[in-house]
Amino acid sequence: MIKKIALWTASALIAFSTLNFDLQEAPGDKLVGIWEPSNGRARVKIDRIGTKYYGRIVWLIEPNDPETGLPKTDKNNPDPALQKVPLKGYRMLKDFVYQADGTWSEGTIYDPLNGSTYNCVIKMKDKNTLEIRGYIGVQALGRTDVWKRLAVQPAKK
Amino acid sequence: MHLINKKIPVLALALVGLLCACSGGSGVVHTVQLKNAEIVLEGPLFAGPNQGQYAFSIDLASELGDQFQEGMQINAASLKSAEVIVADSLGLNHLNSLVLSLASDNPEVSMLEVAFKNPLPKESSSVALDLAPEAELDELLRDGTVYLVLDADLAEDLLEGSRKFQVNLTFELTTK
Repeated sequence: MIKKIALWTASALIAFSTLNFDLQEAPGDKLVGIWEPSNGRARVKIDRIGTKYYGRIVWLIEPNDPETGLPKTDKNNPDPALQKVPLKGYRMLKDFVYQADGTWSEGTIYDPLNGSTYNCVIKMKDKNTLEIRGYIGVQALGRTDVWKRLAVQPAKK
Repeated sequence: MHLINKKIPVLALALVGLLCACSGGSGVVHTVQLKNAEIVLEGPLFAGPNQGQYAFSIDLASELGDQFQEGMQINAASLKSAEVIVADSLGLNHLNSLVLSLASDNPEVSMLEVAFKNPLPKESSSVALDLAPEAELDELLRDGTVYLVLDADLAEDLLEGSRKFQVNLTFELTTK
């Protein structure tokens, strides 16, 4: 019993110190996770690469193109050479930098429905809710969408 | 799910040679290769896009040696070839597509998709990717650490083991 408690305590200490280290390393990492836009048609996984944050599509409600039956590609990309890039895996959020005011900005959001890229700022309303504001030029003229964090289910035994 | 390769100093950049020396102020063109950049996707891996990365930098002074001149910098850059070699026994089977992107920590420089293959040839262990010809890489490559990001779309779960890749890139750089 004592052995078990010692093992548990050691594991907890290691886990805590690792968590603490990660938090100190990158406070913006609270953005990392899987998020679902309000329309529920896609899920986006946000990761950090270097010091910036990127979000790629990891799930689509309709993964295949109804016309071809094949997996959707980025057919509206303004660069014709990239129109065969698969949409699943596409980075629609790029180059976000965590700011001292708790927002992630200086990034862009890509709308695969029309191939347009917008300036974007991300605000975390609470740990499970993001306000994603896309805009052209000035933020006041933009549109905000609310994304929800997707809960990760514990593995079934 | 993905591995961040932090071996920044482990560079396999090799200067192949000066292709041509152009007069009239257009600069000197060099071919530079990044060889055997190893990217490992650690399991458990789930079907769908999985990401791995490798960090490198191009130091003109060490790459050009005697030909380097003080103040010289990359004026233009493009990718001329991209090859992915699967360094595990599974080959390209069980993969739907591969996409390569380059990113930097510089807030002024955006990530760019530079090469991809969709769909992939089966029963093979290497593939030459299609290039994005419009990708201008000079700002990315002159900026210190560059992150090479590989997105591999897995056709099915791989709950045990890992997927290993080696990436070879050939850049054409113009210096001034």
